[in-house]
Amino acid sequence: MSITLNINTDVLESPKTSSVHSMPFYIDHDGPANVSKYFSSYLKPSSSDNALDASFRGLPLKGTSISVPDGFKGLIFTETNQHQAEDDERNFFLKDNFNKITYWNYDKLPSKNDAIVSALDWIHISQAVSILVLNQQW
Amino acid sequence: MEEIHTASNVTEVESCIRSNDNSRNLIISSTIPESCKSQPCVLGIDEAGRGPVLGPMVYGTAYCPKDNNEELLKNLGCADSKALTEKKRDDILDSICKENAWLGWMVEIISPNVICNSMLRRQKYSLNEVSHDAAIGLIRKVIAAGVNVREVYVDTVGPPESYKKKLSEIFPELIITVASKADSTYPVVGAASICAKVSRDSALKSWTFQEGIQIENNAWGSGYPGDPVTKKFLSENIDPVFGFPQLVRFSWSTASKILKEKAVLVEGDEIDDEEEEGENKKTRSIRNFFKPKADENVESPVVEERHAFFKERCLQVCETL
Repeated sequence: MSITLNINTDVLESPKTSSVHSMPFYIDHDGPANVSKYFSSYLKPSSSDNALDASFRGLPLKGTSISVPDGFKGLIFTETNQHQAEDDERNFFLKDNFNKITYWNYDKLPSKNDAIVSALDWIHISQAVSILVLNQQW
Repeated sequence: MEEIHTASNVTEVESCIRSNDNSRNLIISSTIPESCKSQPCVLGIDEAGRGPVLGPMVYGTAYCPKDNNEELLKNLGCADSKALTEKKRDDILDSICKENAWLGWMVEIISPNVICNSMLRRQKYSLNEVSHDAAIGLIRKVIAAGVNVREVYVDTVGPPESYKKKLSEIFPELIITVASKADSTYPVVGAASICAKVSRDSALKSWTFQEGIQIENNAWGSGYPGDPVTKKFLSENIDPVFGFPQLVRFSWSTASKILKEKAVLVEGDEIDDEEEEGENKKTRSIRNFFKPKADENVESPVVEERHAFFKERCLQVCETL
């Protein structure tokens, strides 16, 4: 099996327009959704804490904005053809880029305990580790 | 401290409701009559729109000096709001507003979104508790505005005895009466019920959809689950992902049943779905989607344990997709 990531530099360098929301549910849907009408229009800073407030199907959500670390870019790829067999060749196309994610928890303030927040630690650690190896004299 | 808006007639109540963000609660009050600060007062509390699947629930209070209040209020026509026509209720609220020298009122319009968010919290917050807290909040706000409240009459929510006990513990200095059908027994509760009902009707009728959807002739009906217009509205306004517009109380079984049939499946570990107890529970937990698939045909190789650092962060080496 081979995977090809097709990166159009225009899309890569385009101003970051996509807003990405990470929802605390499994939603059985793959395709366009009325995010701005039904969700973003109600998004607002909380009056009681410094999180963001929103609702999804009546459920209370608490959110925070997570920035993509400096020197990195968030990329969104789409696969146009549904792949059939395991060893099919797969083609992904760059759809958009982003520099922040709005991360939502169900009725709980986002914190360092959330995997996505702490996962970004790895970026700093991996850099530190890589530098160490590169500087090694052989 | 929540903002309290002031209105002095039905038209002002309506325009205040229309200019407010309807996903949040709204408090509207008359000006505070001076006589209510100096003389001992009675205060009545009633609610409107508790049962419907659409729109806000409204808590209303009316208060006035105790002396001769029953006769004065009866002369205004204050009685159970449900026994009156909509026009009659509007007229009586205007009359109540005109008597502002001795009669005051306040309403809290509890947004359907706030109702859902409360009922669907991790820590269950029942509609009864929402109701009790709204009533307690109104008493506190009226007292904070300087009204000399002595006696409180409340239409009951849940068993009257425990409700009365709860209120007496919070307000030991007040004489509290909790009764069912208090709105037809005590004119001051009748006045409160009119304030609540007029506000509820106005909020429902003038609802603007922040989702940007347009409904011909504002045809969503009374909001009662049995109303055919409401039923039609619910079945025709479903977004497959987000469900309903926020006019709808998602926490009502009428609404959740429709979504279960007509919208896409949404599940999460922490969402309680009481109806799915027992044998009907066939859906997989979200955790299953993240578990690696066990390949039964291959003898499992010795897998090196990932360091806790990576496990806690759900980080994996990605070589294939």
